[in-house]
Amino acid sequence: MRRQLALLVPGVLLLLIGGARDSPGAAPAAATVRGRVEIRNPVASPEPRPGIGDLGVDPAYQPMDRRRAVVYLETAPQPAFEEGGEMRATMRQEHETFVPHVLAIRVGTVVDFPNADPFFHNVFSLSKTRPFDLGRYARGHSKAIRFDEPGIVRVFCDIHSHMSAFILVFAHRFFAVTDDQGRYRIDRVPPGTYTMTAWYEGVSQQSRTFTVLDEGGTVDVDFSLR
Amino acid sequence: MVSACACLLLAALARPVTAQSLPTGPITTAGGRLTIGGEASASVSPSDEYYFDYSDYNYNLLRQVRADAAAVLRLGDRLALLGDIRVEGPVGEGPWTLRPYALFARIRPWPRRAFDVQAGLIPPVFGAFSRRAYGPYNPLIGFPLAYQYLTSLRPDALPASADDLLRMRGRGWLTRYPVGSLTADHGVPLVDGLHYQTGVEVHAGNNDPIEVSAALTAGSLSAPRVSGAGSGAQVSGRFSYRPVPSLVLGLSGARGVFLSRSVTDVLGAAAQQASNDQRALGFDAEYSHGHWLVRTEGVLSSWRIPALAAPFIDGPLRAFGIDVEGRYRIRPGLYAALRVDHLGFSRVAGSAGELPWDAPVRRIEAGGGYSLQRNILLKVAYQYNRRDSSYTRTSGLVSAQLLFWF
Repeated sequence: MRRQLALLVPGVLLLLIGGARDSPGAAPAAATVRGRVEIRNPVASPEPRPGIGDLGVDPAYQPMDRRRAVVYLETAPQPAFEEGGEMRATMRQEHETFVPHVLAIRVGTVVDFPNADPFFHNVFSLSKTRPFDLGRYARGHSKAIRFDEPGIVRVFCDIHSHMSAFILVFAHRFFAVTDDQGRYRIDRVPPGTYTMTAWYEGVSQQSRTFTVLDEGGTVDVDFSLR
Repeated sequence: MVSACACLLLAALARPVTAQSLPTGPITTAGGRLTIGGEASASVSPSDEYYFDYSDYNYNLLRQVRADAAAVLRLGDRLALLGDIRVEGPVGEGPWTLRPYALFARIRPWPRRAFDVQAGLIPPVFGAFSRRAYGPYNPLIGFPLAYQYLTSLRPDALPASADDLLRMRGRGWLTRYPVGSLTADHGVPLVDGLHYQTGVEVHAGNNDPIEVSAALTAGSLSAPRVSGAGSGAQVSGRFSYRPVPSLVLGLSGARGVFLSRSVTDVLGAAAQQASNDQRALGFDAEYSHGHWLVRTEGVLSSWRIPALAAPFIDGPLRAFGIDVEGRYRIRPGLYAALRVDHLGFSRVAGSAGELPWDAPVRRIEAGGGYSLQRNILLKVAYQYNRRDSSYTRTSGLVSAQLLFWF
């Protein structure tokens, strides 16, 4: 299925919103945006290719729960882009899967790829956002990649074709990966009107618009993905 | 304060990202019990006028179109059925064929143990290359000589004397002998890596330092048979040792009946009791680290056939093939590869003197691959072949292959 996903579309609207907040006076309260993403048709965990030429047992592969979506603001207040600091994340190779299967990070984050399996993996990506090839390395070893551009990075293993993962790179901090119940929570969202998108496995996405009032509080935004 | 500059910067950074439009993995259905994978490839090259790359299919492996669908149906923890159907044919030369390539049951008596039994039309246990002959597992387009090059021996026809055999040196793609089938046909490679065999195989180990396989099948390494009726049995085995994740060492052995019943039936009783088998020993090694992958594989094969007329074929006919292959991943999606290959033969005394019973061959293949998408690979290679016959033949072939798999 061909889908296009713009991870970050700068908000002209936010210029106006942000401009209003720049006036002297009491700082407006930030809100918590939370909700639930319902995934009606979860993507099945890919099975290994039929090992016709194999001499024996199936690989020690453990399918993963793939009902994890990523929720993010299409537009964000400017200060969100200035928040920085050393950011580090981890995507393990374990039981012939990538853990986590979906990783959401900010631009500038360094992701470690430790191998926890007793055999080689070869992590690579051909994505335009950040192509890389870490080569083969054994258990107990790790290599790292820094992601400096926003976008989607599809990650694979050259040795085990059923291994795949997503890394979503954002230029701001207003994103979250849903938990095993499909819930998410994004804190400290300044007042304003936003478009929020829920993304799932590159096969489904949905956007909703909501407003955070000056008094802050909690805003509920739910999604239902086909 | 909101910075318009920041927004403009984001506008530059933000761009649509397109998800992959072709499947990247196998199709799973029937509640996860049925998994179907596929592979399609098209290879092109100039005409191979000296028949270096002709296979036992009687067509050029560098000029073929092939598609296959493989499936595994899991029937509980202990039983799975596996099958592979293939359509293949030469580019612009003759008919295409559709046939079942593999069809067997995989039984795991103890689901928690890395031990299973495979029965039916099963993969060969000998060696390493036959399990990675196709697709992305072969970094080049051609095959190692031991698995592909056609020697002058045939299971359905027999040279009566050493002169008959030496007359066919370097003509494995089309040989003719006076005993058995009188029709000119192609010979056999040391190991037929393109056909599966009917039989039973047991295997122990799964990503363990030591793995062991043994099989009882029909035919021999160079002439496997789908039907066991009327043909002899082959015993083969493989032992692999992985002392560290980066290194795999393998030893293989096989012994099976070589000549078909159509030949032995026309021989006298004494000749029928004479030796008739193929024995083979193989070693293989694979070392990988970082962006490097190096493999080597050697096969020593000997055929014992009845000696019918003078000058007699004394002793077994031996052949030794060895190749060394390397691959280096230059950057994401791009690699370079090289294989150096040699195939030699033991000597036989004929009326005109002693010669290798078939013409030795050397091959160097260099090339690379570029991933247009994760599962769409374009390979390009140059292959140089040299055959040391009474009239030395050399050929240089440029080939390309487009491969899609899921």
